[in-house]
Amino acid sequence: MSSYRHAPSAFAAASPASTTLFRRLVWEGTVPLEIRVDPKELPANSNRGLEVCFVQASRVSYLPLLVPDLKRFLSDIVFDDEAARVLNEEDWWFESEEGTLLKWHWPIGLIYDNHTTMQSTKPAPTAPSAPLRLVLHLASPPTDKLLLAPSAEACKQAFMGQLKEADFLRWGSTKRMTGLRKQEQDGIWEGIKEHNFDEYWRVAGKVTPTPAPAPRPVSPPPASGHTRPPSADPQGAPDRDGAYGVRSVPVRLYLPDGPVLQDLAPPLLEDGSPNTLADFLPLHLSALFPPTAAGRPRAFALVQGVRAPLEAELAWLGACMAGADGWVNVCIGLLRS
Amino acid sequence: DGLRALDQYKKKDPTKVVVRFKAVGNAPIMKQNFFKVTVSNRFQAVIQFLRKELGWKQGEPLYTYINLAFSPAPDDTVANLYRSFATEGHLIVNYSTTQAWG
Repeated sequence: MSSYRHAPSAFAAASPASTTLFRRLVWEGTVPLEIRVDPKELPANSNRGLEVCFVQASRVSYLPLLVPDLKRFLSDIVFDDEAARVLNEEDWWFESEEGTLLKWHWPIGLIYDNHTTMQSTKPAPTAPSAPLRLVLHLASPPTDKLLLAPSAEACKQAFMGQLKEADFLRWGSTKRMTGLRKQEQDGIWEGIKEHNFDEYWRVAGKVTPTPAPAPRPVSPPPASGHTRPPSADPQGAPDRDGAYGVRSVPVRLYLPDGPVLQDLAPPLLEDGSPNTLADFLPLHLSALFPPTAAGRPRAFALVQGVRAPLEAELAWLGACMAGADGWVNVCIGLLRS
Repeated sequence: DGLRALDQYKKKDPTKVVVRFKAVGNAPIMKQNFFKVTVSNRFQAVIQFLRKELGWKQGEPLYTYINLAFSPAPDDTVANLYRSFATEGHLIVNYSTTQAWG
């Protein structure tokens, strides 16, 4: 079997340290939000001028998890006692400044990146790192479009559902997720709520694959006598439980203003080389990413706020740059000529 | 042109695929279990359709799963679910009155 047909995968040589580094970078990522109550809904005796709330929100968190602090802010600072008493967060909902309804089950980072790519289609785009301005509505939620209750509990259910779907896509079964004890499953969500990297990854590490181990040089076995033959083929077969051995990487493509596209994303192509964005994007969005011979890309791919190089391997993205729900969310934006 | 390409992708796909409903536990089995569904539909529409076929009102508990494995986000499209999870030419949607795989 020829192993010289393609260059060694730089991504597959990722060390455990670099995997953890990228996972930590993703975890620590934040985006600036500027939240204001719809001025038409501000009760009469509110402290106008103070009703804008600036939040540096975690990319891997969710809007329902921001609600308790927002409620406290509005009660303590903005509303008078009467208005604060009748505040009912069950009727709250968010819109972007442009009138886009924001989903409770989308990670905040995805909401932000999707907004960035929507801006890329406008003639006069805003600054790349400008705060995302959200309008908070206090009543009459469009439940037929929101499809989800605003509660943290509903958000947790949706989150767990996404983890299971990702698990199923990777392996054709959810036994890794269902094999977790209830305490562990709850622990993943607690990690999100508390924003605790270790608590989250203590459990997530059991279901999220890592990139294949780095090719090892031929060397004598360790002195402990624990024999393990050195890998004869430095490329190695993909680690059976590793990122390059999955059935499909959980990936979604978000076009500005929709639709959201999901399809099977095998980690390796038919010739055994790693599946990259340069392979995947032209396959599904050929009008924006023409196959190289036909022209230059008209669009870019944003993953966790970063313009991903098209050589990025899907398996590596799935292992190191996925959101906390297991999904690699790729937001597609238009390149300015 | 990028904008034109985006408009092209926004067009609703009129293709229909087969959804196969499978009852779980005590859930009633329907006379007809195979239905053709337009792929641009959200999963929420499939749930509402199932409710109508079963004759169940909004409040009555109805849980749905794909391949007995997970519950999709209600705004996931049939197109996406079919591409990712169809087996033997259809998308299996299990339904039950209790939360089986919570």
